[in-house]
Amino acid sequence: MFRLLKGFGVTFNYFRKKKITIQYPDERVVMPERFRGIHRFFPDKCIVCNLCVTACPTDVITLTGKKSEENPKKKIIDTYNIDFQGCILCDFCTEVCPTDAIVMTARYNNLSSFNRSEQFKDIEWLSDNHVYGYYEESDRVPEMGERGEQK
Amino acid sequence: MAIKTETMTLNMGPQHPSTHGVFRLVVDVDGETIKRVEPVMGYLHRGSEKLAERFVYTQFIPYTDRLDYMNAMTNNYVYCAAVEKLLEWEIPERAEYLRVITMELNRIASHLVWWGTYLLDIGALSPFLYAFRDRDHCLDLLNEISGARMTFNYMRIGGVKWDSPDGWIDRVKEKVKVLRENINEYDTLVTGNEIFQSRTIGVGKLTKEQILDWGISGPLARASGLKMDIRKDEPYSIYDRFDFDIPTQEEGDVYARYKVRIAELYESLKIIEQACEQIPEGDIITKKGKRIMMIKPPAGEAYTRAEASKGEIGVYAISNGKNKPYRIKLRRPSFVNVAILQELLIGKNIQDLVAIFGSLDIVLGEVDA
Repeated sequence: MFRLLKGFGVTFNYFRKKKITIQYPDERVVMPERFRGIHRFFPDKCIVCNLCVTACPTDVITLTGKKSEENPKKKIIDTYNIDFQGCILCDFCTEVCPTDAIVMTARYNNLSSFNRSEQFKDIEWLSDNHVYGYYEESDRVPEMGERGEQK
Repeated sequence: MAIKTETMTLNMGPQHPSTHGVFRLVVDVDGETIKRVEPVMGYLHRGSEKLAERFVYTQFIPYTDRLDYMNAMTNNYVYCAAVEKLLEWEIPERAEYLRVITMELNRIASHLVWWGTYLLDIGALSPFLYAFRDRDHCLDLLNEISGARMTFNYMRIGGVKWDSPDGWIDRVKEKVKVLRENINEYDTLVTGNEIFQSRTIGVGKLTKEQILDWGISGPLARASGLKMDIRKDEPYSIYDRFDFDIPTQEEGDVYARYKVRIAELYESLKIIEQACEQIPEGDIITKKGKRIMMIKPPAGEAYTRAEASKGEIGVYAISNGKNKPYRIKLRRPSFVNVAILQELLIGKNIQDLVAIFGSLDIVLGEVDA
């Protein structure tokens, strides 16, 4: 019986301690800069080398290139699609990319949809995907491990 | 006049909450006594071993994350170590230390999940919240270094992917102190509790003979008095440099397993502290390992094993000199350990079923692979 009360003592002790929970939709955890979130794509940097397609374990990346109009020797990206139904966010595509044209943001909450076909993201969506995190272009770069009120 | 009785077949699962996944037990009960048990598995089968033959060596690493997703670092390690054995590569010192620190952090996280969910299974709600609070300390640290909270994909053949971020080692040291304090609290909260003790002492006893016959490893074996831990018996990575004990208990019941796992938390903290003191500067991956798509081991075969939080995990890799493995065989501890249920549960009360089943600490991603 004494040990039982001792256990209750631990529980009651927590009434005077600080809260550690986060009220999720209002406050959100800012993920560290290495976080493997949803991709971002930079069409200008891409050299159409196809390495990300080869490295992808789930074969969800498809891309096509075309000849550049200014410089016929140079190839530029035409379409770039990721099918997020199959993507396991393993980071191999960004690891093999020689020009860092595809990177991973710290974003993790913009993929839910009512329709499966919406999981198929094209080049516009991917290059537009910057909200917060390491690759954000705004002034504020969240510090690592910081928990704050980002919306 | 004799009362007419007959046995009844009960399906426990596949959606039973105490299985933590999709696992089914077909139980024949006579009154409250269990007469026959048949584990049915495969609801989560993904064919990982066959998938490995389709991939180049590095591409299989994220799939090892998804075997035992509670303790993915050790799975990462043991696969990379098997390929490194084929390649006969020397791994940089710093990479080995980072591997050990992350593996032990992950072991703590895994044991904490067991601690919380097991007590939840047998009817105590609040320990779950304590366990997940402390598990979050571990996962935050792993998130900072690897970029994911559960499926880390952190290790590479020949080293690790990232170096530790600035001040990470210091943060680990701080968190070790916090965790040690909190785990002390667990003892006060649960270990001495009379209700918990009467629920677990003497329940689900496993003898040494049964352990050896069924090939059971990990905390289950250590709770039955067998002093076996691959970290000591056959030190892999750099485990021979650290000073730690193998906690064992003689009784072999559920309570003994509980005590072994709690003691292991302290041992893991000890290892992390020592590793953080000793960690040198230097490379984190070999030069050839950086070209992740170009790894081509010579023909041959290799078996490596490691001590995961559930038991002995092993990878048997056969290479035929091409850039894809010829065959990968995974020895998954949960799969081996769960087989004992058909012998262990016979003659027990139906009320003890969840208490015994939970104490095995299986993860269905690993049972079905």
